[in-house]
Amino acid sequence: MMGLFTSIQIAASGLTAERLRSDVISDNIANASTTRTPEGGPFQRSRVILRPINGSPYFRLPFQPEGFDKGAGLGVKVSSIEKDSAPPRLVYDPTHPDAIKTGPKAGYVEMPNVNIVTEMVDLIAASRAYEANSTMADGSKSMFMKALEIGR
Amino acid sequence: MFDASTFGKTVDILHKGLDVDVLRRQVISDNIANADVPNFKRSDLNFESSLKKALDSEQEEPVLAMATDDPRHIASFAPSDYRTVQPRRVLDYLTTAKNNGNNVDAEQEMMNSLTNQLAYTLEAQAINYEYNQVNLVLRG
Repeated sequence: MMGLFTSIQIAASGLTAERLRSDVISDNIANASTTRTPEGGPFQRSRVILRPINGSPYFRLPFQPEGFDKGAGLGVKVSSIEKDSAPPRLVYDPTHPDAIKTGPKAGYVEMPNVNIVTEMVDLIAASRAYEANSTMADGSKSMFMKALEIGR
Repeated sequence: MFDASTFGKTVDILHKGLDVDVLRRQVISDNIANADVPNFKRSDLNFESSLKKALDSEQEEPVLAMATDDPRHIASFAPSDYRTVQPRRVLDYLTTAKNNGNNVDAEQEMMNSLTNQLAYTLEAQAINYEYNQVNLVLRG
């Protein structure tokens, strides 16, 4: 596939993915102290798993026949949103309604495995990546405007 | 009509250049969109060096030319035609720039995209100039 507007579509796929990433980060930050969830236990931070759209396998042999080459990649897509399996953060607070009642961890509250600093750093990365993609789309636009001026 | 003149060749080469720059933009966009994907490897497009080689080969004199007096003889040296040069996408699979196996350098890609944009603009302007020259003659 090779079209004039493919590069804009690729940039758009990047914008969608980065937007979703920042949505998920917002959700993680909003739930940074949620101790009760429908599934039971504290909130677990979500992570966005990205993967390239076709044409760009993770690794390709250098001397592969051209028939196997699907051409340049067509952008990025979100393959899933998964839970981080890191253990919950334990905070000693015996009077908390969700505090563990018995056992060696009695008196501790299981807090979400969300680290605000990590989330903020991820948010900056997502927002910079969003900017980069939007710059690409903008550049493509001005390029094609120049093409329209040919012969004028 | 324009085949043998500089006009036809110039426009032909510029046309090819515009096409390749669109394709290269696609590759750069893909690299930037996948800048955070683990184990993604960046791609690049090779074209200009092959084009230059083909264009240079038209002027080149073979060091030891062999006579061919039969149409079935294979010439030892044949200049390559610039019209047959195709862009080639190559995967930069050897380097790693980040911990997650991804080798996209966002700054480098943004600079590549800027170069690409300027090259496209330049080619569009050059092609425009060529057509304006013809227009000038037609208007008398």
